Amino acid sequence: ADSFSPGLEKAIGCYDAPVQELIVIDDLLSALVGIEGRYISIKRVHGNDDDVTFQVDASMDLALQELAKRIFPLCKSFLLIHQFVESRSQFKNGLVNHAFAAALRALLLDYQAMVAQLEHQFLLGRLSIQGLWFYCQPMMGSMQALSTVIHKASTSNFVGSAVLNLLQSHAKAVAGDNAVRLLLEKMTQCASSAYLGILERWVYEGVIDDPYGEFFIAENKSLQKESLTQDHDAKYWGQRYSLKDGIPSFLANAAGTILTTGKYLNVMRECGHNVQVPVSENSKLMSFSTNHHYLECIKAAYDFASGELLNLIKDKYDLVGKLRSIKHYFLLDQGDFLVHFMDIAREELAKRLDEISVEKLQSLLDLALRTTAAAADPCHEDLTCCVERASLLKKLGTLKDLDISRTVSDSNDLEEPVSLNGLETFSLSYKVQWPLSIVISRKSLTKYQLIFRFLFHCKHVNRQLCGAWQVHQGVRALNTRGTSISRSSLLCRSMLKFINSLLHYLTFEVLEPNWHVMHNRLQTAKSIDEVIQFHDFFLEKCLRECLLLLPELLKKVEKLKSLCLQYAAATQWLISSSTVIPKPEAPSDGSRGFEKFKQGKLRDPSQPLKLITGNASVTDPILKFEREFNAELQSLGPILSNRSQAEPYLTHLAQWILGVGNEQQVPISVPFYSDL
Amino acid sequence: KEENEVAEEVLVRDVLYACQGIDGKYVKFDKNVDGYVLNDSTKVPRATRIMVRKLCELGLLFRKVKGYISESMDRFPAEDVGTVGQAFCAALQDELSEYYKLLAVLESQSVNPIPSFSESGSSGNYLSLRRLSVWFAEPMVKMRLMAVLVDKCRVLRGGAMAGAIHLHAQHGDPLVHEFMKRLLRRVCSPLFEMVRSWVLEGELEDIFAEFFILAQPVKVESLWREGYRLHAGMLPSFISQSLAQRILRTGKSINFLRVCCEDRGWADAAMEAAAAAGMTTGRGGLGYGETDALETLVMEAAKRIDKHLLDVMYKQYKFKEHCLAIKRYLLLGQGDFVQYLMDIVGPELSEPANTISSFKLAGLLESAVRSSNAQYDDRDVLDRLRVKMMPHGTGDRGWDVFSLDYDARVPLDTVFTESVMARYLRIFNFLWKLRRVEHALIGAWKAMKPNCIASLSFTKLQGAVKLQLLSTLRRCQVLWDEMNHFVSNLQYYIMFEVLEVSWSDFSNEMDVAKDLDDLLAAHEKYLHSIVEKSLLGERSQPLYKTLFVLFDLILRFRSHADRLCEGIYELQARTVGSSLPSQDKTKLGRHLNEKPSEPGSWVSDGRKALTQRASEFLRNMGQDLDAISKEYSSVLEGFISQLPVQQHIDLKFLLFRLDFTEFYSRLRPVVS
Repeated sequence: ADSFSPGLEKAIGCYDAPVQELIVIDDLLSALVGIEGRYISIKRVHGNDDDVTFQVDASMDLALQELAKRIFPLCKSFLLIHQFVESRSQFKNGLVNHAFAAALRALLLDYQAMVAQLEHQFLLGRLSIQGLWFYCQPMMGSMQALSTVIHKASTSNFVGSAVLNLLQSHAKAVAGDNAVRLLLEKMTQCASSAYLGILERWVYEGVIDDPYGEFFIAENKSLQKESLTQDHDAKYWGQRYSLKDGIPSFLANAAGTILTTGKYLNVMRECGHNVQVPVSENSKLMSFSTNHHYLECIKAAYDFASGELLNLIKDKYDLVGKLRSIKHYFLLDQGDFLVHFMDIAREELAKRLDEISVEKLQSLLDLALRTTAAAADPCHEDLTCCVERASLLKKLGTLKDLDISRTVSDSNDLEEPVSLNGLETFSLSYKVQWPLSIVISRKSLTKYQLIFRFLFHCKHVNRQLCGAWQVHQGVRALNTRGTSISRSSLLCRSMLKFINSLLHYLTFEVLEPNWHVMHNRLQTAKSIDEVIQFHDFFLEKCLRECLLLLPELLKKVEKLKSLCLQYAAATQWLISSSTVIPKPEAPSDGSRGFEKFKQGKLRDPSQPLKLITGNASVTDPILKFEREFNAELQSLGPILSNRSQAEPYLTHLAQWILGVGNEQQVPISVPFYSDL
Repeated sequence: KEENEVAEEVLVRDVLYACQGIDGKYVKFDKNVDGYVLNDSTKVPRATRIMVRKLCELGLLFRKVKGYISESMDRFPAEDVGTVGQAFCAALQDELSEYYKLLAVLESQSVNPIPSFSESGSSGNYLSLRRLSVWFAEPMVKMRLMAVLVDKCRVLRGGAMAGAIHLHAQHGDPLVHEFMKRLLRRVCSPLFEMVRSWVLEGELEDIFAEFFILAQPVKVESLWREGYRLHAGMLPSFISQSLAQRILRTGKSINFLRVCCEDRGWADAAMEAAAAAGMTTGRGGLGYGETDALETLVMEAAKRIDKHLLDVMYKQYKFKEHCLAIKRYLLLGQGDFVQYLMDIVGPELSEPANTISSFKLAGLLESAVRSSNAQYDDRDVLDRLRVKMMPHGTGDRGWDVFSLDYDARVPLDTVFTESVMARYLRIFNFLWKLRRVEHALIGAWKAMKPNCIASLSFTKLQGAVKLQLLSTLRRCQVLWDEMNHFVSNLQYYIMFEVLEVSWSDFSNEMDVAKDLDDLLAAHEKYLHSIVEKSLLGERSQPLYKTLFVLFDLILRFRSHADRLCEGIYELQARTVGSSLPSQDKTKLGRHLNEKPSEPGSWVSDGRKALTQRASEFLRNMGQDLDAISKEYSSVLEGFISQLPVQQHIDLKFLLFRLDFTEFYSRLRPVVS
């Protein structure tokens, strides 16, 4: 930079003091715009642009030197700001920096104009160095403040919201100095306008128009909306759009709202609804001044977006209708299709797990759906069936996010039943389309499936016991007093009572009331997040109250159910071996066989039967069943009463199953039968 | 106290010159430093020197921009600057003229003398270097921007250039933003004009290949598929990929309508679309920054044009009817026609392929049409139905080379391209073969109808031979039943579960199709599903081969069964003949004897010989039948065991159907 050698000139000390002053003023005017003069030079420390020092020729009059040195900080500030403007206007530095640099450039232009004015005064001979000092005063403070801000911004290489935060915090820090505060606020205003432009597009259109990655919302394109219906742990709704670091402090409180607003708008766009928040003149997010107008705008946009989305999902996609349809099938509130299905699919379901043909089950399910009241449901074609691999208990153990009391399930690992059949593993599935899959995600559907499997198996047990009951009806005409049959009959009734009470509790005490509560809350929900929350809460509550989150209890219930099933399977044999047919059975033709089958495989009622009394091989198993069943049932009592403090709904269950709390009703107990 | 050699006014004037790219007296362009500098020899203070150099940066930038403009302008008529490039130059030129205006004002001010200490009261309108730097602040920003753009765009053209400029428009500085917007509006206008005329008129006004849609000269039938494509390099980033696709399809539709359908109705549709988008069909009206307007226009135009195109396809060119006709004739949906055709063409096709005249076959086809319900079909449809002889090798029979063809004329040949028709022909050949086998089985049944044979009296035969006869007949009957079960179920499966289901899916999709691409995709899906499900796909090659072995076996069976029946009839005639020797005997014995025996030998041989011969014949036939039966059941078992391995769920239904009583699965050892 030294094309000029100072040696050519005389040292300034050679001149008279007034001449020296003129020369110094001329040099200072140059230095003010960052240009070296004859006797004022700029020294830069190599490799560090920020460290600049101004030096004056040592031979200058000492008083003048001091006067000149007072002005140097201003020159230095100018130089720093100028460098900053030049470097930050480049494309890569982001919109906020561009806007900030533009505001600074405007300021510098004013400053340069001032210098030009001073020059004019100087040329007219009206400017002394003292006068120059005076004229510089107003600029001094603000330039100094700006240069410290800039120093910070450039050393840390701030972009985007960091710049805004820096400016704002500085404006607050210098609140005492009104002029500087106003200047900094104006700078913040200018710098944030670009940022608010991005914000505006996001809040009003749901578009991230952020070429330099300054915005505080990130879009994760790898999360697909299809994952909601496939993946159990789909994170689409939670993480497709997320907040990044560096939220501008003036938006920090509204960040969540801003995120959801844009998210809702995006959901609607994905549905093919191009929704734009109606923009009126005063809803322009042009500035953030202290009156918090921008917060109101964001709020308005949020209200619009969430209302619109809620309407879309509720009305156009008929969320409640879908939920109701799911309730029909998964929570069995219309049982006729299930009865029909269980009738026609009995054989297939009784097969071992690896022999079951899912296609066949599917076609049977379709048949059951089409021939029953379910056909009136427009969504019935969305129902499919599947066969799970694991038993209900095991499946519950594998679902980590359900907070099953670990201690129990871990301590004694469940021994998996050797051969699972279709009845234990059959499950339904439901095709949920995109916008609804936000609410009815794979995860929620899994919960529905768990409840369904439990209900389905209970229903199955109930049906088997009913079959056993029918078998007993066949021998009603006989005098059974004192035989094992009467005992078996009583056992059958108590088992039926148990399973009926359980089903009653599950459906009428748990599912129905909870569903109604949820339904009412859905009507008043204000946003889709609330809807999701209510729905999840409902499922969680149902799972809990259906005992599915209490493995200890659930195991007991499963045990009881398996006892019932064993008993029901054994009934036929028990009854037939406690009756005697006088003559061998006539070969039965087809219709007879069917008839027999219908009546629980009873022998021809026209043939006289006789009872065998005191057959130990018959009485013993019955007694054994009775003993085991009663023992299990009784052992439920303490567990239920222990737990019922923490989980009050268990008292209802205890009431129904054991009759606890209902003094008149005598609990089923062994002494009752002891007169046998 | 001035020790300057040169007055500041002179320097200011020199700087003003330099800023227009002209060397002044003292300020000159220096190649070494690549900029305008003050002569070294001139003795001026250091501050002034630096100031001059800083101010003259503008001159350097100006040179660059100006250089680019004049370079482009010079190139223009001869070379491909392109309309976008021209627009860019023009926009830059306009910006420069703004700049010239400023310079003119400054020039006039520079005449005024700079006041010095001595005189006072001179006017304030003078120019010093410091004042100049205030004046130059804003033009400097703009000029730098232009220089950057010029650098970046030097090698780019058309859409790519617009895209590059667009990238630079994303700037937070309001001044820069406005400037870029103004510039882009100019630069993009030719591009938007192209989009407009493409979308509304189907014209590709793109002499310099700047547009993001490329036209390729192709034959008429592949116009839709290959005629136009997107040129990714020319797609500016402010037009999204999906929008570009839509733009492409809209213009393509118009061209398709114009070239292939010779339809003019699209113009009305385009007019409507423009009206709906709120603009006229004339030039202009679209600009950079109004992406919404562009999108609306494209949407509206696409909606209407596509709808119009589909209307034309459906109504004027009867796409649906032709699809149905192909289904009826090529996929053998019209049963009586197929039956007649099989009846009259059958004998002809048994001849070696090279002796068959296709004219004769065409005649037979015509008569099949006339004698079936097909005669009431649309004349236009029937005219397109042709006989096609495939290239034949030696030893091929007529059966192997005969096929029907359907002549889809323009514009339907866009859908029914040659490769599509080839696939139809494959399906036809398969179905034809299946029909032929079925036909053959029915023929066999006619010959060996149980009551026909039972009505013959074999009372004169010996008991053993009679038993043998009955057992052979029964075996034949059982084998026939098995084959018939297989063929009719396969036929059922193909006709109802494959063809009808696919057709119903296809016609549903046809109803909801929004544009020709949808329609093509739907048709492709239809054809694909037929090919896959009827075992013609790649993956079911082994199955298909097994199936053909089965067919051949069945045809072989047919000839054996015929021989058996003929033999039996003859035997019957013979037994009658032996009692009535006056019957004409020369015709007999051709089948029972290898060499025609001389007349009278029968009589002399008497009943014993007859019985012996008969039993020998029956034994031979029985052995043949057993061989066929054995082979058949082993091949069939192979076929059935392959079925469950197939991907298609429908094939499971075929298995279910064939093995309804679980007869075959019980025969097979259980594979665990």
